[in-house]
Amino acid sequence: MTLDGVLLIAGGIYWTLVVTVCAFLLGAALGVPICAMRVSRSRVLNAVSVSLIVLLRSVPPIVWIFLLYFGLGSGFLTINPVPAAIIALGVITAANMAEIYRGALSSIHPGQWDASHALGLPVWSEFFDVMVPQLFRVTLPSATTYLIGLLKDSAIASTIGVAEIAYLANFLSNKQFHASLQIFAFAGALYILISLPLAAVARDADARLRSKVAQ
Amino acid sequence: MERTAEARPIVEVKGLGKSFGAHKVLAGVDFSMRVGEVVAIIGPSGSGKSTLLRCLNQLEQHDEGSIEICGIQMRADTPIPRKDMNALRRSTGMVFQSFNLFPHMTVLRNISLPQERALGRSRAEADERSRALLDRVGLGSKADQYPARCSGGQQQRIAIARALALDPKIILFDEPTSALDPEIGLEVLAVMQELAEGGMSMIVVTHEMHFAETVSDRVILMADGKILEEGPSSEVMRNPKSPRAQQFLHAVMNR
Ligand SMILES: Nc1ncnc2c1ncn2[C@@H]1O[C@H](COP(=O)(O)OP(=O)(O)OP(=O)(O)O)[C@@H](O)[C@H]1O
Ligand SMILES: [Mg+2]
Repeated sequence: MTLDGVLLIAGGIYWTLVVTVCAFLLGAALGVPICAMRVSRSRVLNAVSVSLIVLLRSVPPIVWIFLLYFGLGSGFLTINPVPAAIIALGVITAANMAEIYRGALSSIHPGQWDASHALGLPVWSEFFDVMVPQLFRVTLPSATTYLIGLLKDSAIASTIGVAEIAYLANFLSNKQFHASLQIFAFAGALYILISLPLAAVARDADARLRSKVAQ
Repeated sequence: MERTAEARPIVEVKGLGKSFGAHKVLAGVDFSMRVGEVVAIIGPSGSGKSTLLRCLNQLEQHDEGSIEICGIQMRADTPIPRKDMNALRRSTGMVFQSFNLFPHMTVLRNISLPQERALGRSRAEADERSRALLDRVGLGSKADQYPARCSGGQQQRIAIARALALDPKIILFDEPTSALDPEIGLEVLAVMQELAEGGMSMIVVTHEMHFAETVSDRVILMADGKILEEGPSSEVMRNPKSPRAQQFLHAVMNR
């Protein structure tokens, strides 16, 4: 494998990160209203949210991507590969994040709401000062695990032509057939190189947050 | 008790009722209380003491009768306007059995944040007040610690400081010492006694019979969602009239 090849594939890190990070942020944000519906007292909202979560999670990511890109894209509406990949992975992430948030919510002591209400905190403050920081700490480990999974799943964006790591590795191996093993091994190593620091940062943040609330 | 309670009522409860589903937890509760009074509520587990307290500051909505507290009217059949709800929360403080401090904030932040958010005080004003109150409950040195690093008794005193920081007209205590070892509970009771002597209006749900008898002006004995007996502390504690009250007091006094 030549230096050119290495640089070519490493250039895919950019789109891998763009797709992963954007899909994660989209999902983390959309997960909030889905979770809110899921825990609301309204039966209708519960049902809507449960159906949405089941629907989003039961269909494989690659089918969602094809549906968005070829399905919608074939009509009057055109959609570029990158946004298609981000939206498809983002909505799946939203369903999963909603469930992660819900688990975290149940881990917060009900006395925290009692205290917030009794102290007369405005609703926004109850949300941003009391709830979000505690949820953040609880969700951090599972959210990081999900993010690393998403990083790997972002490789399926290659199927609709997003020039990320897997796409470029495949492209190069088609040209230099004899070096396929090295090429894909290198691509694999790149994914490891991105996940390792991510996991380390999360572990460190978790330990720091935990030490505050530990006895 | 040397303190003089003013004649003005601060709490007036009439025909209060509350159900959870088909389970009637409070029925026909009437009582009133004057400014500066300290009222202890005692009674067996499940008799509705916590629910009564939580209805007073509307952590639970009552479904029968009316509550007037610090001049704010709350009737079961009319929704409470936002403005009144805010006024209610501003006039009433609450201290919980499980402390309910915010675990992700320092002790100082726990006391300052509600002042900033609920009363609009500046950070500097709030912190100054918080430090003064921490000194008052004997925990000036704990300002920058996280609650988990404080003992239960310290956490409860911090929770009291947090409630006091909002200048409430009345504080509701729900078994403030039940989660604590008896001798640790004493340091909390000492703070409460000081508050009582300072003229704070207080309702204290408690299993501390000594506190009920010596610190409170009046005792309300509840059973099965109703007030069984009420009156001056020593009278209720020493000479209960009904057999049910005698039975309860006999059981707790001999523990
Ligand atoms: N949120 C709720 N939902 C359903 N039932 C409830 C709820 N809160 C309280 N109850 C029920 O209401 C009854 C009275 O409860 P409450 O907590 O007011 O009693 P208590 O006198 O404070 O008892 P304890 O001394 O054990 O604290 C109990 O039977 C309890 O199971
Ligand atoms: Mg109780």
